Amino acid sequence: MSLHHPYDDTLARYAAGRLGAGPSFVVAAHLSGCRECRARVGLFEAVGGALLEEAPVAAVRPQMFAATLRRIEGAIEPAQSFARPASPLDGLALPAWRSLGGGFQWRRLTLPYARDANVIMLKVQPGRKMPQHTHAGVEYTQILQGGFHDDFGHYMAGDCVEADDEVEHQPVVDSDVECICLAAFDGRLKLQGWVGRMLQPWLGL
Amino acid sequence: MPIGLVRRPPRSDSVRAVEGAVVTTDDLKSLMAAVAQNRDKAAYGRLFQYFAPRIVGFMERGGVNPTDAEEIAQDTMVTVWRKAELYDPAQAAVSTWVFTIARNLRIDLARRATRRRNGAAAMGEPEVELVDSAETQTLAVEREAKVREALSQLSREQATVLRLSFFSEKPHAEIARELGIPLGTVKSRVRLAMAKIRPLLEGER
Repeated sequence: MSLHHPYDDTLARYAAGRLGAGPSFVVAAHLSGCRECRARVGLFEAVGGALLEEAPVAAVRPQMFAATLRRIEGAIEPAQSFARPASPLDGLALPAWRSLGGGFQWRRLTLPYARDANVIMLKVQPGRKMPQHTHAGVEYTQILQGGFHDDFGHYMAGDCVEADDEVEHQPVVDSDVECICLAAFDGRLKLQGWVGRMLQPWLGL
Repeated sequence: MPIGLVRRPPRSDSVRAVEGAVVTTDDLKSLMAAVAQNRDKAAYGRLFQYFAPRIVGFMERGGVNPTDAEEIAQDTMVTVWRKAELYDPAQAAVSTWVFTIARNLRIDLARRATRRRNGAAAMGEPEVELVDSAETQTLAVEREAKVREALSQLSREQATVLRLSFFSEKPHAEIARELGIPLGTVKSRVRLAMAKIRPLLEGER
């Protein structure tokens, strides 16, 4: 049961298809474990349906219907309800962890459909402090295992944390197990400290 | 036309007329059932007549060029035919289902364009299904009508920022600059708009 969720405006942008590939990936990871947020996304999709109904009725070329009919003629593909991944992480090839030293490991995820998206996983030993950082855009973090706290709260597996340029924090891992986070950035992350300096070139920031 | 500056009259269960005939959400469901069960081309023609011009209008409003908007509309309607059996009337209004198809196609189109520029191989994003329990689904039907009512009750400012979530990829900071209001005001308007819609989910938790 998650206690921290993506903000409503983030879920609305996700439902609208207006959130970047990286942040959408992190939100999808949260949704796979959060029924409440799935319901909220369903609600915002219904808003999308209502906005579609009231959209301007554009003039379409008369040939368009005939062209569409030609495309649907003949073979009807059996509508197969193929099994879809419950989490966007399922079936995604994960590279090996890379050590940053000092109890930190990380890896960059490559989304086959959006290779330029900045999505990383970070694994931190219990008791470690993450580098002090702030954000030029929004950082979306889904906690997959363990937990941490910062000046603003305590976060555990299943929680999603959004931090923007008004947040400067230094999370501290306080779980007995390693803390594993999935993170994506909407803008540029400004990292301070040595981990930051090591990650920065990798993220192309 | 600035997005969301046009106030629309409150709407009940009926949606705008198609060339004189009023099409209700129930009509759309009946038409979908005829397509799914009998592969009824006349019913499909009416769905096309209703949705194709609106999808084009919706996409153009969201900054998609006319050629791409028409491609998205046609692909959406082909998908409606091919996947008709997968539409679940207990889960969402037809408009909501069609909206999600068009939304995914728009994302695919944008990502294909990015990949072409980067010379990467094409690959679609796996969809993450948001299906929940039968209990949630029953409430989803009532929700559709309530969403329309809630939308009609938003203030003009709230409607503007909510629509921007659907029609713009711009971060809130940019929206604030465009509207000439502080960033905090944009954020609070989005959340106020969401707060009016969100109670519709009460009882679904």
